[in-house]
Amino acid sequence: MRRVVPYVAAIAAVAVTTMLIGLEASRAPLANVSMLYLVAVLIVAVAFGRPAAIVASLLAFLSFDWFFVPPTHQLVVANPEELFSLALFLLTAIVTGTLAARERARAQEAKQREREATLLYEAAFLMAEPDLERALAAVAEHLRGALDLDGLAIETDAEILPRPAIAARDEAARLALRGASSELRVLDPHRRGRRIRLIGPRQHSGGRVVRVLPISAAGARIGRMQILRRAGAAELGPSDERLLAIAAAQLGVTIERARFRKKALDTEVLRRADELKTELLHAVSHELRTPLASILASAGSLRQRDVVWTDRDRDEFAMSIQEEALRLDRVVGNLLDLSRIENGSFVPHKTWHDVGALVEDVAGRLRPVTTEHPVRLDVQEDLPPIELDYVEIQQVLSNLVENAAKFSPPGSEIAIRVGRDDGHVRFEVSDRGPGIPAADADRIFVPFVRLSRPGQSARGVGLGLAIAKRLVEAHDGAIWVDREVREGTRMVFTLPVRGDVR
Amino acid sequence: MSVNGPHGEPTGARLLVVDDEPAMIRTLRTNLRGHNFQVETAENAAEAKASYDRRAPDLILLDLNLPDGDGFEVVRHIRERSGTPIIVLSARGGERDKVNALDLGADDYITKPFGIDELLARVRVALRHLARPKAGTERRIHSGELVADLERREVTVGDRAVHLTPTEYDLLKVFLTNPNKVLTDRMLLQQVWGPDYGDESHYLHVYVARLRRKIEDDPQEPRYLVTEPGVGYRFRSEEL
Repeated sequence: MRRVVPYVAAIAAVAVTTMLIGLEASRAPLANVSMLYLVAVLIVAVAFGRPAAIVASLLAFLSFDWFFVPPTHQLVVANPEELFSLALFLLTAIVTGTLAARERARAQEAKQREREATLLYEAAFLMAEPDLERALAAVAEHLRGALDLDGLAIETDAEILPRPAIAARDEAARLALRGASSELRVLDPHRRGRRIRLIGPRQHSGGRVVRVLPISAAGARIGRMQILRRAGAAELGPSDERLLAIAAAQLGVTIERARFRKKALDTEVLRRADELKTELLHAVSHELRTPLASILASAGSLRQRDVVWTDRDRDEFAMSIQEEALRLDRVVGNLLDLSRIENGSFVPHKTWHDVGALVEDVAGRLRPVTTEHPVRLDVQEDLPPIELDYVEIQQVLSNLVENAAKFSPPGSEIAIRVGRDDGHVRFEVSDRGPGIPAADADRIFVPFVRLSRPGQSARGVGLGLAIAKRLVEAHDGAIWVDREVREGTRMVFTLPVRGDVR
Repeated sequence: MSVNGPHGEPTGARLLVVDDEPAMIRTLRTNLRGHNFQVETAENAAEAKASYDRRAPDLILLDLNLPDGDGFEVVRHIRERSGTPIIVLSARGGERDKVNALDLGADDYITKPFGIDELLARVRVALRHLARPKAGTERRIHSGELVADLERREVTVGDRAVHLTPTEYDLLKVFLTNPNKVLTDRMLLQQVWGPDYGDESHYLHVYVARLRRKIEDDPQEPRYLVTEPGVGYRFRSEEL
């Protein structure tokens, strides 16, 4: 149907021109008449291209001869001069028509190229997005819209793009593309190093033809584009094909870049993990060796024969040995606890306990650690018993108090407050130390994170709070740093009053 | 004051012990007092500097890992004021720290955990250096079979004369005038090759190896020029 339109237009243009000339024929000289026909041919050429222009030229030539060149209503030409000008007219009509048509084709092509360039530029802009999944989704939708497709999918290694990026006009198109990709995944399970796919250029899915276009980079196939045309639409034109080919090449570069980025990231992650391991080993060995140094020096002293030690001296050495051995035991215990909690074999053994007794017990046990600090206990009178694992919660409280003692200046007070708080029992351990910067308030619960302040080395292994957090959470409680405290640090943890609350 | 103890060391010397571990402080204080030293203690850099300024101790035992700042600051503070011997206590693996402390002017180091006898031996050596005439003023230096005549630039081992190149001689002289003291690569390079040197440890290793071949009975098991792994060398003098 569309193919006939130019010719109909050519006939119509010549007919209308003939009629117009007919109205004025008596007055106009023949040369002007031919000029009018030329105008008609030019219009047809610009609007409908070269074939229509040639048809219009021939028709104009015939009409001119038939209606206006004497003897009229015959194709015969009386005057040989007339014959010459008639032939000249035909030649002029065809040449100008062809030239005008070519100009039109050039303009159209320029427009086409401009569109391609714009489309590709926009696609490249979308590909610059650092998140590959989002970038490919945006590009797919962009190309689909520009080429008026029902759907377009981009697929590559599952390692860098877990799901294909699919842009679809409707659910049916999406399903057709997804169906095509799952069929293909069976063929190629995305194994590392096996990127070449032996697939034909077309796949049938749900009765619809899905075209497959490979995406390559550096000579290797690294992915593919699937194209689902609009139902009943014509094949893609050469310009659209070119567009897709260039887009595929750009996608290849984008995907390759993402792959390199991921590789670099993986390497970085490995390096960090390694660094962390080294740091951990360093921290653990320091934490084990520090008490060992005191123990060895004390034991060595006791064995020296060149001095006669007084009972008091011996007692001092023995005390150092005992204290530092206990400290070693705590470090080892913490390490074991964490590994037990981390590998999931930890289940609290809950029974009902009086909170006040627990707090006093902890304060008593920690006296050797808190010798340099006055410890104030403030336990609310009418606290209900709580269902908890006595050993574990005692450890939580111990860890907090030990930290308070370790990080606050000698002589400053440590306060332990326990009270009721809206269905929970709230434990607070406050000190007058340097406090915890707000930025680190969450980080300190991460295993092996130790805070170091300017001009001060980090101390401890960084396990106490990590363990405390896990133990409290196993009791459905919460633990945090109170950020409203201006001076020192206040650590808070809560346990639900009803042990059966989940 | 100069009553000699059971090991011939001057007793009654005043020591300053700087460590942030209460148990270590207690143990060292008790032990050193039992060995007739007067002991002051400090738990951080500020206390250490204040105590030094107030009491002018004869020797400082200094842990580098202090809660309120690094021990290097203490070394610097003391070296700006005097040559009082400083023995650094540091953890194993902290070779960098030891070298830095020695370069700043510390005299010796001992790695934690240490044997208490070893520590006492180091303390005695350092104190004896104080009691001796300033090293380098003597014209003849003996150690075991090694004899050096600094006036005539002659070195003999037993009855064998040792021929040294000028650089070898200069290097040996630095060792001889700093007996039993740990010398870092940097110190040795700067004293022998000049202040522009410091990182060219390989020069040093070559010359030390040559010296050992000339003065040691068994260069594999040196008697005089001992390697301090990761730190430098020490000339072990037997004349104490």
